[in-house]
Amino acid sequence: MIKLVDVSKEYVIDHEYTFYALKNASLEIKEKEFVSIMGPSGSGKSTLMHIVGLLDKPTTGKVYVDNKEISKISDDELSRLRNEFVGFVFQQFNLITKLTVLENVMLPTIYCRKDLSFDPRQRAVDILTSFGLEGKLNSRPNKLSGGQQQRVAIARALIMKPKLILADEPTGNLDSKTGHDIMMLLEKLNKEEKITIVLVTHEKDIAAYAKRVIKIMDGEVV
Amino acid sequence: MKNLVFIFKSAIEDFSRNKLRTFLTSLGILIGVFAVVVLIAMGLGLKKYISDQFEAMGKNTIFLVPGRILSGGGFSGSASSITGRFDSRDLDTLKRIKNVSKVGPLTLKSTKLIGLLKEDFADIMFSSEVLLEIMGFEMDTGRFFDKTDVTKRAKVVVVGSKIATDYYGSAEDAIGQKVTVDDVKFTIIGVTKSKGGGGMGGPDYDSYLYGPYTTGYIFNPDKKFFRLMVKTENESFVPQVKEDIKNEFLKRHKEEEFSVVEPTELLSAITSIFTVLNTILVAIAAISLVVGGIGIMNIMYVTVSDRIKEIGVRRALGARKSDILYQFLSEAILLSSIGGVLGLSLAYLAVFAVQNLFPAYIDLMSVLLALGISSAIGITFGVFPARKAANLEPVEAIRYE
Repeated sequence: MIKLVDVSKEYVIDHEYTFYALKNASLEIKEKEFVSIMGPSGSGKSTLMHIVGLLDKPTTGKVYVDNKEISKISDDELSRLRNEFVGFVFQQFNLITKLTVLENVMLPTIYCRKDLSFDPRQRAVDILTSFGLEGKLNSRPNKLSGGQQQRVAIARALIMKPKLILADEPTGNLDSKTGHDIMMLLEKLNKEEKITIVLVTHEKDIAAYAKRVIKIMDGEVV
Repeated sequence: MKNLVFIFKSAIEDFSRNKLRTFLTSLGILIGVFAVVVLIAMGLGLKKYISDQFEAMGKNTIFLVPGRILSGGGFSGSASSITGRFDSRDLDTLKRIKNVSKVGPLTLKSTKLIGLLKEDFADIMFSSEVLLEIMGFEMDTGRFFDKTDVTKRAKVVVVGSKIATDYYGSAEDAIGQKVTVDDVKFTIIGVTKSKGGGGMGGPDYDSYLYGPYTTGYIFNPDKKFFRLMVKTENESFVPQVKEDIKNEFLKRHKEEEFSVVEPTELLSAITSIFTVLNTILVAIAAISLVVGGIGIMNIMYVTVSDRIKEIGVRRALGARKSDILYQFLSEAILLSSIGGVLGLSLAYLAVFAVQNLFPAYIDLMSVLLALGISSAIGITFGVFPARKAANLEPVEAIRYE
């Protein structure tokens, strides 16, 4: 489903020193997989995830999404793929605090240009209900606990029925029990909904939820 | 379109959480729109007031004024109009011209007026019965002096409504009272209805006394007049009569010693001066609109910096550059429109409040102008911050702390 071939990402610092966030990384993620990308902080795993999530483009190398080379597609088309194809879950939850829980979950649907196969509000309510958040629909995200906020973020990632969910340290801001609850939720989505999940983490026991672990060190896949 | 509703909703939400900032940002536009609309309203009101004044004189009226007051549509020099005077021979000349129905000379005499309630200086206008028609007076009580009074040199006066109330208490009380002007006793035979006006340095016709010019000769032994007024049979004779008057008067006077004008010519000269003045004032007021726009641009840059993370999140969720652009652009437009609507409402209140003192009014054109300009300012000054927001790299924005 997603293939990276010899992908490098360089940052030029102060016009002289070049920093390699990624060095010739190649990997392939197949449909319905549950993959962890594991490495210590600064290893380039976030850069890797941003490239897999189409938020960033590599300096060299090629990224294929469904066999399409992404350097050839326009910014609007990339936006469309992020909207319909990928769902993001972040460490910081990244919910928009001035919107309600329900509005946050519905937010991706307003950026969709094609006709939706579902009613956005109904689907948002359904997902939130199945996550046990039916009483928080009109609350502001900052009134919720960390675990609840992360569930709202997962609901938001699910609303567009994506094929892929990218979770960047989803448990990083949670206590270990809540963290494991969130991981079980992701595991369930992979098993029951057949959604491909790519998880970025530096914690071994969190990475262990995945069926395959890709280790990364100093920008290189090891 | 569902997007637009969402954008406006979240913008309004944002504003209501930052009420003070929103208000202060809109203030520049508010003041600008207020100033522009009020000034246009005053200009319109003034124009209407002046044209109403002239309208009352009727269309088939011609004035003769000493000196040259109109050349090329504007005023030029007024010194000659003070020294020059017409005399009774000029008056007779006018009477002989074909299609002239009525002639009225005009002289002014200032006098101490001793009433029942107060005494002060007042002016008497001496003219003929045609004054009633030319000024468009209506009578409150009694009658205006007529042709017979003029012929008989009757010692009668008509007083304006303000003279009647200020000096005698009411129109009824003024009738029959004696007015002594330089030892000559006049009787008040009528009171005119109020014409209003006089508020802006223009003549206040309610504060004059009016008498027959023939009686006025007592104070004007030289029989000189500072203005002559002519009524023609109907409007179509006006150009010919003007021409004839000019030709006849050129036999006795030099060209620069007199002017033959229609009130409408005066009207267009005066209004063109006011229009220029008003345009300058409106242009100055419009500068504050630009300043207000810069204020909006400034605050929108701040907003964009405050919300880099949010922009990153939205891009990650699938927002296109254009979605972000429109989001911030609509916020800017909304901000300036709030200012526009508030400024307009305030202008309405102000115009309503001064209605009795000043004949200002707001027309549809200035409403549309105010709203159009304020949203145009939102677009013009909002587009730069919005472009900055739209062009942020998604990955940079989402990493931003």
